Amino acid sequence: MSAKIAIVGAGPSGCYTAQALLKRAPDLEVDILDAQPVPYGLVRYGVAADHQGTKGVARQFARVFTRQNAHFIGNLRVGRDVSMEELRGAYDAVVLAAGLSADRPLGIPGDDLPGVIGSGALTRALYEHPEAQALPELGEAPVVIGTGNVAIDILRLLAKTPEELKGSDLGPVPTDWLAARKIRRITVVGRSTAGAAKFSPVMVKELGELSQVDLRLPGCAQDAGEALQAAVAASAGPLPIEFRFQSRPVALEQADGALRLTVETPQGVEQIAATSVISAIGFTSDGALDRGALLQEVEAGTGRLYATGWFRNGSVGAIPQCREEGQRLAQQILDEITPDPARPGRALFADRSDVVDFDHWLQLDARELAAATDQRCRQKIHLREELLRPANLQDA
Amino acid sequence: MNIAIFFGTETGNAEMLAEDIATELEDQHETSVANLADTAPDALLTEGLNVIVCSSYDDGDFPASAKPFVEKVQAAKPDLTGVRFAIFGLGDSEYADTYGFGSMKVAELLVAHGAEALGDRPVHDAAGDALPEDMALPWLEEIIGGLDA
Repeated sequence: MSAKIAIVGAGPSGCYTAQALLKRAPDLEVDILDAQPVPYGLVRYGVAADHQGTKGVARQFARVFTRQNAHFIGNLRVGRDVSMEELRGAYDAVVLAAGLSADRPLGIPGDDLPGVIGSGALTRALYEHPEAQALPELGEAPVVIGTGNVAIDILRLLAKTPEELKGSDLGPVPTDWLAARKIRRITVVGRSTAGAAKFSPVMVKELGELSQVDLRLPGCAQDAGEALQAAVAASAGPLPIEFRFQSRPVALEQADGALRLTVETPQGVEQIAATSVISAIGFTSDGALDRGALLQEVEAGTGRLYATGWFRNGSVGAIPQCREEGQRLAQQILDEITPDPARPGRALFADRSDVVDFDHWLQLDARELAAATDQRCRQKIHLREELLRPANLQDA
Repeated sequence: MNIAIFFGTETGNAEMLAEDIATELEDQHETSVANLADTAPDALLTEGLNVIVCSSYDDGDFPASAKPFVEKVQAAKPDLTGVRFAIFGLGDSEYADTYGFGSMKVAELLVAHGAEALGDRPVHDAAGDALPEDMALPWLEEIIGGLDA
């Protein structure tokens, strides 16, 4: 008798966990639920549009559905369309792999002023997430707070020329928005020293190689790693991007129709003028699920409840860590699980006409690939309405 | 022929290709698939063919699952004379300076210890349009054809 497992979230953590479960136990009934009508989570909506190689893992994930027989149940938000209690009653185990979709606030006075935008909100708009806000006006001198890889992704996209975006899947609206930008300089503010910044050296190297970029480091960054120093030395484009390390944001104010960021540095308090502020300091729960209470139950280990990826760990770790953790978790679940034939599993959703399956995604995927221009590898469908009922499916 | 397929992977793409190669070859040959992380240097075949699928990670580094194998070879310094291998790389041309370095470094390590490399070392580009199996299977068939002849 095969056990029934529900995984909440079809991003990399959920897909790797399903892959590892079904590799060890091919007869399991594994259902991957997602609030969006499309699978792959941050592989589709978080990995940068110009990092198509990184998105290559989606081919593995597709096989989890097409060959390993996991079921995709899309357009189903746990906590709204189905309760955690119902889900846990219907499955032998529930894995929470829902990620973290809200931007962690700066937590300083003025962090909610107009002109302050979170990196998640900005990248959702850039990568055409169905729930994205409109792309913001950044003005001539945006300030990016945070020095992790998400910050570097944003800098790179803001600095790329149309030619440098060739082969990406950046959509027509974000492409036009980038083409119309008025940015003359970007300042990057981080609390850590240059040497302790979280970005990968290879990402900084890539940024320094762009035609427009002129990376700058003020004198106080003696511990900057080789990659950053080399990128600063090599980059000589017309767009200055200045890194200001050891600068702790303490307040944001409106001043002269723009923003003024106050930072504390070893040299004292400094002020930085900004036409907009992009905060890229990590992610937090959007509150749709009671993460704290659920994680306590996961830790207690008695409720047939598991968690993985960012939902469990906070927003640290990239795709390789999702895979490692998924493999460990799959083994743990198989060691602990006791199937109960009375639990209905996916029959819970038999009456729902508003969910979509993996075949639905395959049709969307084919449509998006067919719609690509010669400058793009894909043209995403971004309206939720059309993701649910693409025009040609309606006609069929 | 005995064909042992090994993969060095970080995100699983090399493992998937290794399995695809095994599926393609298993009707005609005795095949096995193993993670380099679980492989000792003396597990390399001296009769038959070793096929290695290996990606790169970060700045041209070995992928995580190749590292334990590399360390074992570096520590034990085995004599790999008589070991014949074909190696296929996975890379990402967005990182042009170090494109395919993971597979290159594994190949150099094995050759330095006496193993013989067969054929060239193609690298599949994750940022390109081609599918890795469409590149790897014809490449490998040609190498196997040369051995059978």
